[in-house]
Amino acid sequence: MDGLSRYAGVIPEFDRFVEAIYRPLPTTARINGLKTGRDRLLTRLRGAQVPCSPFPWYPWGIRMGTDKPGNLLENLMGHIHIQEEISMVSAVVLDPRPGERVLDLCAAPGSKTTQIAMMMENRGLLVANDPANGRVASLRSNCERAGAINVAVTRYDGRRFPAQKFDRVLVDGPCTGQGMARKDPAVLGRWSLKRSLGLQRLQVALLKRGVEVAKPGGTVVYSTCTFAPEENEAVVSRVMERTSGVSLQEVAVPDLESSPGLAEWGGSSFGDEMKRCARYYPHQNDTGGFFVAKLVKE
Amino acid sequence: MERAEVAEMMGSRFGIPPEAFEAVSFFLRGRNVWAFSLPEVPDLDYEAVGLRFISLRGRVPKPSTYALQLFGRFATKNVVDLSSDQARKFIAGERQSMEADLEDGYVVVAHQGDVLGCGLYSRGELISQLPKERRIGEGGIENLLEGGGR
Ligand SMILES: C[S@@+](CC[C@H](N)C(=O)[O-])C[C@H]1O[C@@H](n2cnc3c(N)ncnc32)[C@H](O)[C@@H]1O
Repeated sequence: MDGLSRYAGVIPEFDRFVEAIYRPLPTTARINGLKTGRDRLLTRLRGAQVPCSPFPWYPWGIRMGTDKPGNLLENLMGHIHIQEEISMVSAVVLDPRPGERVLDLCAAPGSKTTQIAMMMENRGLLVANDPANGRVASLRSNCERAGAINVAVTRYDGRRFPAQKFDRVLVDGPCTGQGMARKDPAVLGRWSLKRSLGLQRLQVALLKRGVEVAKPGGTVVYSTCTFAPEENEAVVSRVMERTSGVSLQEVAVPDLESSPGLAEWGGSSFGDEMKRCARYYPHQNDTGGFFVAKLVKE
Repeated sequence: MERAEVAEMMGSRFGIPPEAFEAVSFFLRGRNVWAFSLPEVPDLDYEAVGLRFISLRGRVPKPSTYALQLFGRFATKNVVDLSSDQARKFIAGERQSMEADLEDGYVVVAHQGDVLGCGLYSRGELISQLPKERRIGEGGIENLLEGGGR
């Protein structure tokens, strides 16, 4: 339970949370609307005797009764992308539209990039940025398989992304990944407060740059897959202190249970406004853990 | 690279109507044609822009598997729909003999109406052009059941 007992006072139904965190994750994927239709894909999978059912909250997400989704023909054809259920929420909150200019600042390996490309119907511009050499290869490979033609891949340090103006920016930065424990229990052992605080500096700088390159009226979504408030509310709060003309919008996805962001933690007060962010815990929707904030620039 | 030129290549070989490419721009890099959503890219240092679409390296243009997976569904000729057994071989990267109503050259290879990728048809043989990293060895595919899978 390394690093989780500190949340006993803030996570609702903590016993259920702890129990959920040791259960393996369901196998999930996202239907790729760039290449197939939803009904067509469901019919195909059922015809091949792969049990599947759409998420209640997102029609493009499916749970599947198979252990090796990577070896499905539908994966090879790019009709599905294997992706954890809760990670689909960032792009849903970002809400990109066809024809817009969108930046995915920390994009590799491209689960959210390919989801955004699909939501943009392959139109407009989607810049997918990530400085990590090896990870960019999987980003490119995933974009190819998805059939994304509106994606341009760059490899800047996100903190110094060149001056440009985007309608929407996603900052899905590096984090301690506690919310991934159901996939890889070792993340819990690797967590330390020192690591969270070390990442916080990078996360603040990335989100700050994300806000700077958004147009007036633009939307910036910040997400992580960790529970640590040091990497979530504290980051959002720090960036909002340092940048004027940015406000938080309520994150609420119908039929997806969440808890509000924390207004205070460990003696620091972030303000009630932080409750507009969303925290997703494993026992709420039987998913991984996640945090999402939605910032809007004046 | 003019859109009309690409539409002509895809039209003459596969019967894909030019309207299919209306929202797409094409540009040449090396001997490859790339597809992108916009006629211009903003001023940034890029690792890659858009999707590799057609290779002009050989005697005839060769569409990428990714191009066919996106646009092959609009093809009206030089398309072959494989049985599950044949599809398994194709995905493993093999060649197989086949009687089919195809002209020699690159063809759209499908299974149950969905495009698997690019094949080369030559003298009664279909040779898989699936990129190596996409191939899955025989028996590896989870859901291609004996006898059609439907
Ligand atoms: C949680 S992962 C992103 C997952 C991705 N958005 C997806 O959905 O597939 C965080 C990414 O941030 C990248 N990263 C680390 N430092 C960065 C920096 N200074 N600027 C931009 N990205 C960075 C890492 O390489 C890593 O790929």
